[in-house]
Amino acid sequence: MQDKQFMKETLIESAHAYKAGRMDRRSFLALCGMAGVATASVIAGDAKAAADHVVMWNWGGQSVECHGSAIGDAFTKATGLGVKYDTSGPLEGKLREMVDSGNVTADVADGDLFNAVSLGPTGHLEPIDYSIVSKEKTLPNYALEYGVSIILYGYAFVYDTEVYGDNPPKDWKDFFDTAGFPGTRALYKWANGSLEAALMADGVPGDALYPLDMERALNKVKSIKDDSIYWGSGSEVHSMCVNGEASMAIIWQNRGRNIETDTEGRYKLVNNQAMAMPGAYIVPKGNPAGRDAVMKFIATAQEVPAQLALLDCLGMTPSNPAAFGEIPEDQQPYAITSAMNIDKIVYNDPVWWGENGSEAVNAFLDAIS
Amino acid sequence: MREAASDAKSGGLTLSGLTKHFGSFTAVDNVDLDIQRGEFLTLLGPSGSGKTTLLMMIAGFLDITAGDILLDGRSIRDVPAERRNFGMVFQGYALFPHMTVRDNIGYALDVRKRPRAEIAARVDEMLDLVQLTEFGHRKPGQLSGGQQQRVALARALAFAPPVLLLDEPLGALDKKLRIEVQDQLKDIHQRVGTTFVYVTHDQEEALSMSDRIVIMQQGRIEQLGTPNELYEHPRTRFAAGFLGKSNFLTMPDGTYALRPEKIDIAPGGQMNGTARLTGTIRGITYFGAVQKLMVAVEGRDDIEVDVDSWRNPHALREGQPVDLGWSDTAAVRLEDT
Amino acid sequence: MRVLGRHISPGWLLVAPLLLVVLAFYAGPLANILWLSVTDPEPGIGNYQKLYQTDALGRILWTTFRICLITTFFSVALGYSVAYAMVHAHARNQHVMLTFLLVSFWISVLVRTFAWLMLLGRNGLVNESMEAIGLISEPVRFMRNELGVLIGMVHYMVPYAVLPLLANMQTLDTRVMAASRNLGATGTQTFWRIYLPLTAPGLIAASLLVFILSLGFYVTPAILGGGKVLMVAEYISVQLLVTLNWGTAAMLGTLMLFSVLALLWLMSRFMQLSAAFGGGATR
Repeated sequence: MQDKQFMKETLIESAHAYKAGRMDRRSFLALCGMAGVATASVIAGDAKAAADHVVMWNWGGQSVECHGSAIGDAFTKATGLGVKYDTSGPLEGKLREMVDSGNVTADVADGDLFNAVSLGPTGHLEPIDYSIVSKEKTLPNYALEYGVSIILYGYAFVYDTEVYGDNPPKDWKDFFDTAGFPGTRALYKWANGSLEAALMADGVPGDALYPLDMERALNKVKSIKDDSIYWGSGSEVHSMCVNGEASMAIIWQNRGRNIETDTEGRYKLVNNQAMAMPGAYIVPKGNPAGRDAVMKFIATAQEVPAQLALLDCLGMTPSNPAAFGEIPEDQQPYAITSAMNIDKIVYNDPVWWGENGSEAVNAFLDAIS
Repeated sequence: MREAASDAKSGGLTLSGLTKHFGSFTAVDNVDLDIQRGEFLTLLGPSGSGKTTLLMMIAGFLDITAGDILLDGRSIRDVPAERRNFGMVFQGYALFPHMTVRDNIGYALDVRKRPRAEIAARVDEMLDLVQLTEFGHRKPGQLSGGQQQRVALARALAFAPPVLLLDEPLGALDKKLRIEVQDQLKDIHQRVGTTFVYVTHDQEEALSMSDRIVIMQQGRIEQLGTPNELYEHPRTRFAAGFLGKSNFLTMPDGTYALRPEKIDIAPGGQMNGTARLTGTIRGITYFGAVQKLMVAVEGRDDIEVDVDSWRNPHALREGQPVDLGWSDTAAVRLEDT
Repeated sequence: MRVLGRHISPGWLLVAPLLLVVLAFYAGPLANILWLSVTDPEPGIGNYQKLYQTDALGRILWTTFRICLITTFFSVALGYSVAYAMVHAHARNQHVMLTFLLVSFWISVLVRTFAWLMLLGRNGLVNESMEAIGLISEPVRFMRNELGVLIGMVHYMVPYAVLPLLANMQTLDTRVMAASRNLGATGTQTFWRIYLPLTAPGLIAASLLVFILSLGFYVTPAILGGGKVLMVAEYISVQLLVTLNWGTAAMLGTLMLFSVLALLWLMSRFMQLSAAFGGGATR
């Protein structure tokens, strides 16, 4: 779903936006593509799946290298199967199209856990085989029938120390208080995280967010609309901060880290009330390598060494609790489940998002436009 | 009969020392010319002779490099084209394709913000003049070439300009139509009394319509005169060759121009000593009314002789020896030799 | 075969394979979109009913229409000036100008979009300069709003407006304008009464081209609008790839398709389209 954008951005940084740009301009073509002629093969690229390897569908860039070293090597060692990559990005719409067309070319997709909720019941995903994959090696609510969380990322915010140096904002309440903290806010355009932040700002406790009270959340979002701008990609919010357009911005932690670095500390990351988002591996229905092979691949990714390697290589936080304690010192501020952050955070509910995400996004877009 | 007459007191043009350079190229070179009020003056010359450039300078579309243009004695050098009040018929007519014939003709009055009724009356008058009364509501694209030409003429005359400039106005018409329109044009000129300055490269057109002709070459006036003067007394080889056909005979005292139709021809030995040259018929081309005979004369270029077909009494044939004779006044001595 | 041949020109046989390809890969998917719009998520015209049942769609369509219209107006007006300057420039300068025009086609929409941010953003060159010389005390909000979208779109569309206008102006007989001057019309009169009407086909072609291309704009509104200017192309993409409301996307796609076709049909009532796009000559 939309938070694929997160991984996409994380992995490929700004150059990636070009790609998005080209795709966007051709939205009409995309519409034609939707009609189902030959798009599946185009999307899948040349990594045709077969019995001697699994095809991982991810977001390109560094992820090929990182997934290879973190998971692929160990997996090959254990099973003798190779790993190939399709880097076209498993947007929910593309995955549905792939399965509907009957030409399934990927075995495992680097997706979001709410994809498992929205695409599973409609018959587009293989169920996770929990005799091979472990429910204990992820957070309790993040092992679902059609997908299991492998990593976590999260929504926090950055603020401009030149604007709020004396009295820094410390939570979502401050973020939404444009009277007490005047300045432009940058919110995530695809609703995710922005809605939860709005509710927390309005006084809803972090453990009682779901089901989201949409009306309340949107009213809160609208209340600062005049002072808000909205971003759709990591590079966009990055430039909004670097250019000083936004005094506060909702942001992914690892992107927040980049902004801190790029602005030489002018912008500062606040992890209080940050929301943990479960990134998940999901399996397209009828995947070519078969269930057994792909489940073993997913299980490999759950292991602590793989989890730490993904953190090191991609900045994705482990979701296996056994790995939490082993997060290195220098990664702690930017890893959402690190000892430093884990008591301050709230957890996203993928089931709610899987079931209500479409309406939520459209309602959010309607509210901000 | 001058029902569509312009201000007949106006329309005398004087060009003095008129010169136009395009970079290093001299298109018009120090031209002095008096154009009489109400006359039909033709600028005749081959392409590149400067005749159109001259016209465009009179119209005000081209800047003058040196010299001056006077209208009725007053300089119009600095008067912009739209304030010169000269009518112009363009090559290809340049009608306004999006307007009706009526709107085309009324345009000049319309931009002068004349009352509607006056415009309508004048347009009717002009349509009548060019015999297009039925066609007022058509667009130019729905008219034939000859009709378009007449619309262009009516449009240019509608505001009663003292001078009408015509830039090869018949160039796009076929030969038969052209002769017809020539007559109409001449007729209209006589009726409106406007000064016509007419540019063409067609000598027949020039001869049949003009009061006076200016033969131009390389930006200069080669010769100026009535059609008859120019035809009968060409001063230069160029004038003689460009206006009508000429044989050029080199004599001890200079070169003479001799029109082909002024040569008598008879079978060899039959001229009783009055023969000026003898030769052999090299070829005969039949044109209906006339026959052109090419006669090879020893030591000279071939001589062309025109004979009226019906008068060819000798049934001359190719290869036949012939005598050639002409009267003393027939051969004109050229000044530029 | 021979009977057939009498009715079908052999030329058709030559292009037949291509036609089949077009049918299969263009008309087919298009039909599929129409089909989806009345079958997904359930059969019926539910997707079309959304048009008046939800305010959101109406607002998005209105925003799209309004922005495209304004963009078209300014792009064509600016394009007209550029084309006019080009036609009347010295031949050598004309080449230079044409080169610049074509080069601008090769600059990605994203690069241009970000260039505008740098130039007119909150801390952009213009705002900084104006602040530095004391012209303003607060940065002017050029970007991240509808004004920003319009600036970005007009900038992108001007070259598209120039080309049909240029083609049109180049075919004009300059003697017609000379004739107008000769008949006593001032430059202004000549422009309004002769030049402008004669460039109407170019104006219509340019307007159609710009308007239709603007309908599909996505990146520029998304970025320069600061998320607040939602146009239909972006919305379709969201429904397609994010919220999986393919039926809604297909309905909007169908709507756009037929709007464009209706627009072309409407124009064809007033003029020959081939003339507008430089095909055949009409008087």
